[in-house]
Amino acid sequence: MKSHLDTNVIPPSRQREAPRAGLTWIGQSIKRVEDPRILTGNGGYIDDFKVPGMAHAAMVSSPHAHARIVSIDTSRAKALPGVIGVYTGEDLASVVDPCPSFASPPIPQTAIAVGKVRHVGEVVAAVVAEDRYIAEDAAELVEVEWEVLPANVDIEASAAATGDALLHPDDRESNVALDESFNFGPVEEDFAAADHIIKRRLRWHRSSAQAIETCGVVAQFDPYKGGYTIHCNSNFYNFIPFVIGGSLRVSPGEMRIVPKLAGGSFGSKVFSHKIIILTAGLARLAGVPVKYIEDRLEHFTNSDSHGSDRLYDAELAVDKDGTFKSLRFTVLDDYGAYLQFGVGTHGNAMAQVTGPYTIGSFGMRVKAVLTNKCQQGPYRGFGSEVTNWLMERMVDAAANELGQDPLALREQNMIKPDAFPYMIPTGNIYDSGNFQKVLAEAKQMFDLDGWREKAKKMRAEGRCVGVGVATCMERSVYGPTEWWSLNNKETPGFTLTSTPESISVHFDPSGKLFVTLHSPMVGNSPETVVTQILAERLTVAPEDIVFNYSDSQSGFNGVGPQGSRFTAMIAGACVSASIKLEERLKRFGAHMLQRRPEDVELRNGMVAVKGLKDQEKSFGEIALTSSFFRLSFPDGEEFDSGLETTAVYDHPLSTDPDEDRKHLGIFYPIVGHICHIVAVEVDPGTGKVEMLDYAAVHDNGTIVNPRTLAGQVWGGTANGIGTTLSEQFHYNSDGQFTNPNFAEFAMPTANEMPRNFKLGHVETPSPFTEYGIKGGGEGGRLGAPSALTSAIEDALSDHGVKITSLPVTPPVLRGLIRDAEQMAAG
Amino acid sequence: MKPSAFDYECPTDLNAVLAMLGDTETETSILAGGQSLVPMMNYRLAAPERLVDINRLPDLDYIREDAGFVAIGALARHGEIKASELVGRHFPMMSEAYDWIAHAAVRNRGTLCGNLCHADPASEMPALMQVLDATLVVAKATGTREVTAQDFFVGTYETVLESDEMLTEVRIPIPEAGTGWGFEEVAMRKGDYAWCTVVATLRVVEGRIAAPRIAVSGVGDAAIRLGAQEETLAGAEPTSAVFEEIAAAAAAAVNPPNVEHISADYRRDLLRSLLPRVLSAAASRVAA
Amino acid sequence: MNKKAISLTVNGRVREALVPPRMLLSDFIRHELELPGTHVGCEHGVCGSCNVVVDGKAVRSCLMFAVQANGTEITTVEGYDTAEGLHPIQQAFWEEHGLQCGFCTPGMLAAAKELLAANPDPGDDEIREAISGNLCRCTGYEFIINAIRSAAKAMREAEIQKTLQPA
Repeated sequence: MKSHLDTNVIPPSRQREAPRAGLTWIGQSIKRVEDPRILTGNGGYIDDFKVPGMAHAAMVSSPHAHARIVSIDTSRAKALPGVIGVYTGEDLASVVDPCPSFASPPIPQTAIAVGKVRHVGEVVAAVVAEDRYIAEDAAELVEVEWEVLPANVDIEASAAATGDALLHPDDRESNVALDESFNFGPVEEDFAAADHIIKRRLRWHRSSAQAIETCGVVAQFDPYKGGYTIHCNSNFYNFIPFVIGGSLRVSPGEMRIVPKLAGGSFGSKVFSHKIIILTAGLARLAGVPVKYIEDRLEHFTNSDSHGSDRLYDAELAVDKDGTFKSLRFTVLDDYGAYLQFGVGTHGNAMAQVTGPYTIGSFGMRVKAVLTNKCQQGPYRGFGSEVTNWLMERMVDAAANELGQDPLALREQNMIKPDAFPYMIPTGNIYDSGNFQKVLAEAKQMFDLDGWREKAKKMRAEGRCVGVGVATCMERSVYGPTEWWSLNNKETPGFTLTSTPESISVHFDPSGKLFVTLHSPMVGNSPETVVTQILAERLTVAPEDIVFNYSDSQSGFNGVGPQGSRFTAMIAGACVSASIKLEERLKRFGAHMLQRRPEDVELRNGMVAVKGLKDQEKSFGEIALTSSFFRLSFPDGEEFDSGLETTAVYDHPLSTDPDEDRKHLGIFYPIVGHICHIVAVEVDPGTGKVEMLDYAAVHDNGTIVNPRTLAGQVWGGTANGIGTTLSEQFHYNSDGQFTNPNFAEFAMPTANEMPRNFKLGHVETPSPFTEYGIKGGGEGGRLGAPSALTSAIEDALSDHGVKITSLPVTPPVLRGLIRDAEQMAAG
Repeated sequence: MKPSAFDYECPTDLNAVLAMLGDTETETSILAGGQSLVPMMNYRLAAPERLVDINRLPDLDYIREDAGFVAIGALARHGEIKASELVGRHFPMMSEAYDWIAHAAVRNRGTLCGNLCHADPASEMPALMQVLDATLVVAKATGTREVTAQDFFVGTYETVLESDEMLTEVRIPIPEAGTGWGFEEVAMRKGDYAWCTVVATLRVVEGRIAAPRIAVSGVGDAAIRLGAQEETLAGAEPTSAVFEEIAAAAAAAVNPPNVEHISADYRRDLLRSLLPRVLSAAASRVAA
Repeated sequence: MNKKAISLTVNGRVREALVPPRMLLSDFIRHELELPGTHVGCEHGVCGSCNVVVDGKAVRSCLMFAVQANGTEITTVEGYDTAEGLHPIQQAFWEEHGLQCGFCTPGMLAAAKELLAANPDPGDDEIREAISGNLCRCTGYEFIINAIRSAAKAMREAEIQKTLQPA
């Protein structure tokens, strides 16, 4: 049968290291290599860094959601002793152009507002002073005259706004920045033929990662060379020079961007280009090195990293026997005032939008709506956390309407283990999986049957106890077509298709293996996983591996930790480097052993003659000899001294989107699977939810380090719990952000976490990555909201409460219960 | 988020503090634990011209028993009060409540007197002090006066303290033997400011409730006693039906703030749900 | 605005300085004493990253002015490890994977240090309570709780060893 997917051909696997049992280092929970320096206070975060003569910046932030800047008087601020300079948007524009954008056509954004402000917290002027205290004093003295404009807060109202309420009237005649529709497969036909259509309106509210460290930059401008040196905590520093060079009016090579250890990112520091451009521009204007570290208020209101904020009208077509046929929805997404990454968060969601289920077609209309809020950026899940929740909500809704058991309905529609690689309607593939095994493991770990009985009994006693099960996908190893594949195909923008990762390695003469990473650490464990993979592949002792991080000039291609890609991608680079280094080790070692290279092998840090015990040379001896005793080897460049190599690994499996967007190609194919099961009790009088029991089983393919993976799952689950129960940014009807602080934006503390968390793993290796490794950085947040929502709804099934919006804070949940009580009372 | 500049004084003598407070030319704030004031200063929501740091005043960190009451000095920290055997013995409700108030590092610095002067409408201790019938000793250069906890709180961040006055001591009468107590609160997270706190003490004499005291915070611009409900409760039987009725009346009587996302209805619902739990806990503790 | 002279002991070393009264203790420790291990996460007293131990008690250094620390004894994360190596709590955080990005870690260590000084054998709920004033966005806390439990055990065993040794 002809299908819209026929043109999307799966390329052959480039895997070199097959998944296998009996590995020495891969699979061990070794202690993290990174930790001792961090534990003793020597991590080296951006605010720990200083340079001589460095000044400090503070911002004048907009108190209005939407207003024209009539005038700015900086004279009092400039007169304050200790102030070096005070700069407006016009001043900055003399040295800096607008920020880069993945939206096409772009929505112009400047690092300091010019002409008008579009959200509370947007910068209208910047002060550079001797210290941050004085800079803040001066910021208070800047006087701005405003002409307040209508604030767009509601997503649907903003989509219909006109006149003065338009955010970008010079560029767009509407606050809808993008409105595109897609049909992947025979959506209309499938819906027309289906027995039931399940409809839900679902709302997912805005929050953000709020890493405990904010974003920061130390920038220096060299007026003689015309370039910048920029220290920052961006996770993407090897791409950034190219992206921001245009804004800073220098060629990428004229910038040296030096990464610092980031105190958490979860997506929020993926680019952070605006703060880099801002600080660099200030350093140039002020003529001194400038440090700017966002304070918490600025990070909340202006860091361009708010998460998804979506309104869905979704439909699931189901046959009467429970078979899922098709899924479609219209989604409005409140992107805030700008659109830095286009609708990349929806592109991302296309990787796994139909979940672990066999659904033949999928349709979508996506509308990116601009409002007077801080703009969106990445947050753990990058949009797929919402569609996971949507899919699971729709399955629960279908079960409810068809009178079926929600778990049985899931099992009935789940992709079978022999169906991989499995192509979903959007064109992405699921490389491998065994969803049934994950579910079985989770059921057993949780004692699902026992709990369901228990919950029933407790409900009979009048308690509101329920159990929720979620079976979700965790796509990993992202490909960058997600940034642009949903753009209008006439104006696709910058159609990036590379996401490489690389590594440089060399043995020093003492036999230590020096490794240079070209991506920073953000709280992941790059040195630990590289240690384990190199130790595995080269038989080098872990304690003999030494780490460095390159800067953007000394470094090579690297995209960094994001999109659950780093471990799988760096493993590829490690294998490539190991192959090259092994070849050299063997060549030098064999010569020293007076053997042919094909007669030797790597063994416990030695080049050893195959089959013989004491015929061996340690890597140290070979390194020393190859470094200092050139005459011990034959002439010829293959014996050039030293043992070093640089290796790049490109995305293991991606294809282009179809030109007419009948499919989006393969872009996020290394998929994990997760099952979360949770039991909750709701206090119906207060709306408080208590987690009684929790089990999570994740399949992330071959595991490099079980403990660090567990840390990722735990942490992601904590984020998901916050997203579900307590975290929401509140903008009032004037566009004021009313809870930009840690006291009122309620991230879970240790007290809010479940007491009986059980974590299990299934390992279904990828046939496409080295050793079968899959990513695992986002799964917790991709699964927890669905399971918790289901459990709460189950607990309140006697009240008839339906949950269609997150978060369900106690006031929200109590409100739903109150409505249900009033309805029941007539 | 750095504070504005201020003049700093750190007297070692209470009279010097009171003299500085009497100098009304300079806008002065007392710095005790600083756990509410300094965040506001960091946000520049507060910018006093002068801070008078009282942390070096001698002999003000006491928690001691006196004639029928326990006296707590201006520099007694929450953490010390929470851990105090004396407080635990006489006012177990305070020890229990402190589990829900902030977190260890904040309790290590914050003081009870500072907390009361801050008068956050969502704070727990203003309600507890009213239920426990505390007396607050207020000093100024010309002498001292005593104010009952019930009269002390005026509104949001507002008390009867004049700018030249300082709260130096809280006196909490030791309850009569057999007094039962209850405490409940609901906050987003444990340790957060509560959306609603309900506290009560009562006795049961010959099967009837005697001397009931109920206070709530979070449901108005200051913590308040529920006088009308106390009157209804006095002499009634300690049954759940009575408690439910009292709670319904209380919920109808209060006038909570209606702020976005935490509606007045929700706070009323909390009071409605928590009050019966508090009263039955109090009644059961009488029996114990 | 006049600067005030202060003298205090930080990690066993006497430090003297002239500070503006408004300088936060966190800024003083980080930028004047150049001890960067004390981290600043929120500057409004909620996240706990800036916790240091002042006269034996964990406190928020963003809610204290440096001038108030005159005469105190302060321990920061830089003062925990010894010539023999990591402090047992640090060691346990390492072994139990109690940190990812490490930004909240110094504050967690301060909270753990105070807890274990007062309670050498805390239950899990006591540990949870003790660190509940410290926000961590990476770990979900479970491995931090494991680390503190394990540190407590190691420290108790070290105490026993010490008492068994001949004087």
